[in-house]
Amino acid sequence: MTQVLVFNVFNGLIVGAFYALMALGLSLILNLSGVINFAHGGFLALGGYLAYTLIPYIGFWGALVVAPFLTAAIGLVVERLLIRRLYGRDPLYSLLLTFGLAYMFEDGTRYIWGATSLPYPVPAILTTPLSTEFFFLTGYRLFMVGLVAVAVASLFVILSRTRLGMRIRAGTLDLETVSVLGVNVRILRNLNFGLGIYLAGLAGVLAAGMLGLAPTIGASLIMPSFVAIIVGGLGSLPGTLLGGLLIGVASGITTVFFPSATEAVMYVMMGLVLLLRPQGLLGEEGRTQ
Amino acid sequence: MNGLNKQATNAAVWLVLLTMPYWMGAVGGYTELACRILVLGLAAMALNFLLGFTGVLSFGHAAYFGLGAYGAAMTLRYLVPSTPLSIVVGVAVGTLAAAIIGAMIVKLRGVYFAMVTIAFGQVFYFITFRWNSVTGGDDGLTGWKRQALKLGFTTIDILGNDKAFYYTILVLFAVAAGVMALLLRSPFGRTLVAIRENERRARFLGIPVEQHIWLSFVISCLFASLAGTLYALLNNFTDPRALYWGQSGNFVIMAVLGGMRSFWGPLVGAAIFVVLQDYVSTQTENWMSFVGLFFVLVVLFFPRGVLGILRRKAAS
Amino acid sequence: MSLLRVENVSQHFGSLIAVNGVSLTVGPGELRAVIGPNGAGKTTFFNLVSGFFPPTAGRIVFDGKDITALPAHKRVTMGMARTFQITEIFPELSVRENLRIPVEVAAGMRLMPWQSRKTDAEMQERVAQLMELGGLAAKADRLVGELPHGDQRATEIMMSLALKPRLLLLDEPTAGMGDQETYDITRLIRRLHKDQKLTIVLIEHDMRVIFHLADRIMVLAEGSILAEGTPVEIAADERVQAAYLGKAA
Repeated sequence: MTQVLVFNVFNGLIVGAFYALMALGLSLILNLSGVINFAHGGFLALGGYLAYTLIPYIGFWGALVVAPFLTAAIGLVVERLLIRRLYGRDPLYSLLLTFGLAYMFEDGTRYIWGATSLPYPVPAILTTPLSTEFFFLTGYRLFMVGLVAVAVASLFVILSRTRLGMRIRAGTLDLETVSVLGVNVRILRNLNFGLGIYLAGLAGVLAAGMLGLAPTIGASLIMPSFVAIIVGGLGSLPGTLLGGLLIGVASGITTVFFPSATEAVMYVMMGLVLLLRPQGLLGEEGRTQ
Repeated sequence: MNGLNKQATNAAVWLVLLTMPYWMGAVGGYTELACRILVLGLAAMALNFLLGFTGVLSFGHAAYFGLGAYGAAMTLRYLVPSTPLSIVVGVAVGTLAAAIIGAMIVKLRGVYFAMVTIAFGQVFYFITFRWNSVTGGDDGLTGWKRQALKLGFTTIDILGNDKAFYYTILVLFAVAAGVMALLLRSPFGRTLVAIRENERRARFLGIPVEQHIWLSFVISCLFASLAGTLYALLNNFTDPRALYWGQSGNFVIMAVLGGMRSFWGPLVGAAIFVVLQDYVSTQTENWMSFVGLFFVLVVLFFPRGVLGILRRKAAS
Repeated sequence: MSLLRVENVSQHFGSLIAVNGVSLTVGPGELRAVIGPNGAGKTTFFNLVSGFFPPTAGRIVFDGKDITALPAHKRVTMGMARTFQITEIFPELSVRENLRIPVEVAAGMRLMPWQSRKTDAEMQERVAQLMELGGLAAKADRLVGELPHGDQRATEIMMSLALKPRLLLLDEPTAGMGDQETYDITRLIRRLHKDQKLTIVLIEHDMRVIFHLADRIMVLAEGSILAEGTPVEIAADERVQAAYLGKAA
């Protein structure tokens, strides 16, 4: 029993790390620009598919490096051409726009790469388990957790040590003051969006290795990101990280006892948080607007 | 919009709706399409009660639409072959859910409120998807049909007679629209507009903002679930797609396209959307891209909606 | 019996002390002014009294009842109305519509799903009276957002009056106004004070206005009370002069 539990908790942590990665990108964009990027899942899928297309040319590792940057570049263009126009307006419009983009992404990937699932070639070195006792510790899973940890750590380093990061953090608190201080807010928003999309693209490449590729992976993975943000704390990046991990672990534990409720448990957590602490676990009081 | 203009518009709308089954065929449509416009138009108008008139960003209305649909379907399938009862049950289920959820989320605003409404929408989608022993899962719930209305002195065959069903829907639509219009014109309705216009000022005028938003939410979802029951009855079928976030988005785009600040706007938006979707899906498999593109274009170029643009032209 | 009694109220924002142990007692029918250099905590003080947020410490008693924990909208129902430094009105509604809402709320109708023709006429009558009093009758159907600053302020004051308040809190009512508008608003406030017998607490910078209206003045500086007294006493107070001159540097 304990081994099953341990296995599932560990699995849950992996899944949670993955949710956190995606949710962090979403949260970055939401916090600075007030935009709910509903197309985040679409960018995730795009990242995975781009990597898939690149593998024959630059291999697994090459694709892993390049695809997220490529996705981020597309994100920069989307922000510049479309989303930028909507900043002053009611958040309704940016939500509708990203909604529409989500549809276009999903159908677009289906059109280009086909509707059937595509297997993602992972190098053999990563698929072998590390030992028979901990058979679930395949190289790929460990690798994924490791990579997510590195990515998240890098993100926090960028935010706390670099000029861009500090501007993003300041902008999240008070964009007007930041603008008055001479920072080009347009470029800041653009780069911030790109950073968030980079994380989505990276998540997509990792997801491809774990789940294979299908046009619907974006849509299926966006809800946990939402819930991670709501549970972890509105406006708080550490909160989003915590939220993602909690959801993952919770669903891991639930699989052991109530397998059919695995997907539901994150919504139950969301409900509890809303009742007891609407701003989220690490969210600031009054950040509900 | 001055009084006379309003009356003229109302008259025009009712005239069109009353006669739709008769001229629909002539313009390449069919009665079922007219029914769909009414039903989805009602859902969009219900959403707009909250979105356009109270200024609340609700993006999960498909949940209550879907609960209405499943409530009706399951009543007909498992309980009693009575159409009126199925409608009552559907509305009751949707409204009850709205009352509970509304109370939980009423402290949130703006994008956070929107996120939570989307999430709750997905909760119900997930339930109908998973609980397939009862709901039929992804395949939907079949094995039931809308029943003829036995009114004592006569029986209206809404199953066999398309036109009869259309007019039945129209009656319910009229009642719903009438109630919504009445509420929006009342002192209560004015407090909702106040909340939309300036929530802080509304609060400092003594309006308990959260309470009024909750009421608006429940009323809005009540009519959305009514639309849902009618939708299920129209198709003699319902499936989880009725609850999907895409459906919620469709309602919002209908409201925006037609004009959020006008009463009939969402109906106009629904008509355009339904007709376009109908047409595009016969032309290409990639209708999803077109719907997505449509959203993008409306947001960028038509944010005030059709009736919003017309109103501008009339004012200038 | 005092109408408003603020007892030793403080507001901390983290390590920033915006309001530091301020007490105030206002009797019915008084017109009290609150003045002080920028950043003195005047608006924060108003926010505490009106229920924008709860104080870190202290008590607020209104009409004999402890309202320290009472939410803002309930304070309004008890008879406290306020205006804001940046006018809070419904800019895309007409003057008439702006006033209609508080009139109906004050009549207890906020939840009414319909209205009889008779009641409708009564509401319209009351709105007309308010517009007349505020000098807005000629602009009744204009959108408030399109009106000049002075008229927007007047609308806001009339909206507050529509609530039939016992206490009116006015936050810099003449801010950003030219001489004529200032004169008009001052006259309006004076009328409200004398004719309607309203108790008013007023934050102001314009000394002419204060001298014209106030019975007593409270001076705040850096969150604490610096001085209190009649206009004449305050004008002569050296500490007050120093506070203003010092801040100007």
